[in-house]
Amino acid sequence: MTEKDEQTDDNKNRRKFIVTSTIGASAACALFPFASGLPSVLDPVTKKSDGASTPWTKVTALASLPEDGTPTKFEVVLEKVKDAWTTYTNIPVGAVYLARSGDKVTAYNLKCPHLGCAIDYRSKSNDYFCPCHNSTFALDGSVTTENSPSPRGMDTMDTKIEDGSVWIRFQQFRPNIAEKIPLS
Amino acid sequence: MKALMDWIDDRSGIRSLVKEALYEKVPGGARWRYVWGSCLTFVFFTQVVTGTLLWMFYSPSTQTAWESVYYLEYHVAGGWFLRGVHHYMAQAMIVLLVLHLMQVVIDGAYKAPRELNFWFGIMMLGVTLALSLTGYLLPWDQKGYWATAVATNLMAEVPIIGPAIQKIVVGGVEYGHHTLTRFFALHAGVLPASLVGLVVVHIYLFRKHGIHVKEPRPKRDSYFWPDQVLKDGVACLAVLLAVVTLTIYFHGAPLGPPADPSNEFPARPEWYFLFLFQLLKYVPAFWGAVIIPAFLVLWMFLQPFIGKTKAGHNFNVGFWWTLIAGSVALTALAISEDQANLKHGAAIEEANWQAERGVKIATNDGIPTAGAVSLLRKDPENLGRRLFASHCSSCHRYNGHDGRGYPVDDPQSAADLAGFASVEWITELLDHDHYTSAKYFGGTEFKDGTMARKVLAKYTEEEKKLLPEIARLLANGAELPYESALDEEKKEELLGLFYNDDFKFEDGRACIECHDIDSEEEGYAPDLTGYGSREWLIAFIENPEDSRFYGKKNDRMPCYGRDSKLKSEEIEIVVDWLRSKPSNF
Repeated sequence: MTEKDEQTDDNKNRRKFIVTSTIGASAACALFPFASGLPSVLDPVTKKSDGASTPWTKVTALASLPEDGTPTKFEVVLEKVKDAWTTYTNIPVGAVYLARSGDKVTAYNLKCPHLGCAIDYRSKSNDYFCPCHNSTFALDGSVTTENSPSPRGMDTMDTKIEDGSVWIRFQQFRPNIAEKIPLS
Repeated sequence: MKALMDWIDDRSGIRSLVKEALYEKVPGGARWRYVWGSCLTFVFFTQVVTGTLLWMFYSPSTQTAWESVYYLEYHVAGGWFLRGVHHYMAQAMIVLLVLHLMQVVIDGAYKAPRELNFWFGIMMLGVTLALSLTGYLLPWDQKGYWATAVATNLMAEVPIIGPAIQKIVVGGVEYGHHTLTRFFALHAGVLPASLVGLVVVHIYLFRKHGIHVKEPRPKRDSYFWPDQVLKDGVACLAVLLAVVTLTIYFHGAPLGPPADPSNEFPARPEWYFLFLFQLLKYVPAFWGAVIIPAFLVLWMFLQPFIGKTKAGHNFNVGFWWTLIAGSVALTALAISEDQANLKHGAAIEEANWQAERGVKIATNDGIPTAGAVSLLRKDPENLGRRLFASHCSSCHRYNGHDGRGYPVDDPQSAADLAGFASVEWITELLDHDHYTSAKYFGGTEFKDGTMARKVLAKYTEEEKKLLPEIARLLANGAELPYESALDEEKKEELLGLFYNDDFKFEDGRACIECHDIDSEEEGYAPDLTGYGSREWLIAFIENPEDSRFYGKKNDRMPCYGRDSKLKSEEIEIVVDWLRSKPSNF
């Protein structure tokens, strides 16, 4: 190898080093601003929900429900609700249909398990009907048509009667899947 | 892959564009002195990206701005870091702008044929300063609120249209929702968009005339890629490192207490505006806000023409150095004046205390829809010290200050109430020298009263040894939250001492002869039943002239309740605050 060749090799190596470092430095500078905010943007995915225990909420008096099992709609008012930085007190967070049978009450979420539209109770046909995509549900909440858009029946939640009042544990569930999985 | 690249190139011509961008000739070789423009581009890019990410968390209204920033800062993963980078990058931008500008001025790069580009640069300087100004209002904390109030009041100094400009920017007469929405639109929309436009023209003009080469040329000519890009990249990395270091060292950007127009705050702008702040102490606002800036802008636009001759160029460079030296001097003056000012220091500490307190309550109790400022306004801890400062501290002190930490100008004329009615406090009170000192009754008529002259001054050594026991008895009646109660037996024993059952005090010097405890009779001196307790203190502050307390012998203590100087809930707040903590003497 001649001296000149060595020099060219040196030059080549030097240039390769410069190009690599330049690309490295530029890439670091270009990516840094995005990286600096990535954990914050991903926060909703990575944060564990603190709503592990769903509180019991009083909805109405048992006596106000018709004994024949006709569903009645009630708004659900929670004592304390946090939305990011704001803490609300006594704020409506949703609605349920309550249906009584004897001393037992079943609570159905107003939201359609298909895609979350508000379900109507139709007194004429005595069933539930979602006006968005025409899912229909029987009074017990079950899907009534074979190819219903809704993959499952209406979502029920825990209820109890205490001192003549109806209490529920209000929950929302993941839409459009066959299983009933609480949102968290 | 190659086919795809070829197709893209064929349709877009990207290769020749990249080639043109990267293979620009750099006469005289790559140099460190050329890095500032690239650094500024990098910093601006970072601000656009981090700013957009911050946008995902920010809510511009008077009840949600501070709150959303607080939430990002304390409850979102890495939120403090994101905000810190944006905050310190903004400051780096100012520093880099000055460096870039001085580089251009010293090298004479502002002269023909680059006049137009110099003017664009000056405009970008203006937009960047406006970005800074609009940016620090957005968290809606005390600093942003009060500093912006000053800045927007200066706008009104512009003749004829000034007041209208101020209203347009503020969104009305008062600062509120529309001040935030407007500042936010300016900060995240109008100004960055203008800056992008200006940057494009600036870079286009720069490429048109090529780099301004500083003679002598150190090396052979080379190209922008990769030699100069490497130097630029390294410089950008250095800026990045500095910003990350600052962000981590200070754990992000500061967030003051939520803005409150009723709560004073020592308004100071960010450090890069301090020179202007200081200048306004010497010149009328009209000169500081209109005449001087107008003259400077005019000079800057004429600068390329003045610089045509050697003497003119030297004048320009000299004038810039004078401006910078003047700004540095004014900034230093502003800082040293603030540091020498005890009240300013106390005000800063008070603001820091309120900020910490605000965050603590917000985290513990949650923020109501009325916003975080309502939490601080209702907080007894915060209100107690402020009520004490405004209603009690002209005579009384609290640990020597006004309750918040501010020194007081008026001479002390009543007792220092830190640790009031605690064992320590009463023990000291019962010592003649302390009793007549300024810390207790030295500033009052009681200094020469019976208690001082005929009782405390006369106690024998034997009697003096009993006084701490009396203090324990009295303090027990105060039921202070930080002191433990006496057991019944001990209390009975000490009561015996108070009643002088065993004649341990000589006639005329036993407590019971003037003061009562647990008896129906009315004594000659204040009734000490439950002395310092919540009930006693509230009743005392309501009416110290009541026969239960000083009666006619009251010395200047106002009857806050009887004369409606304070509402009863305010008296309760002061009392609860006074009783909450021991003194820290």
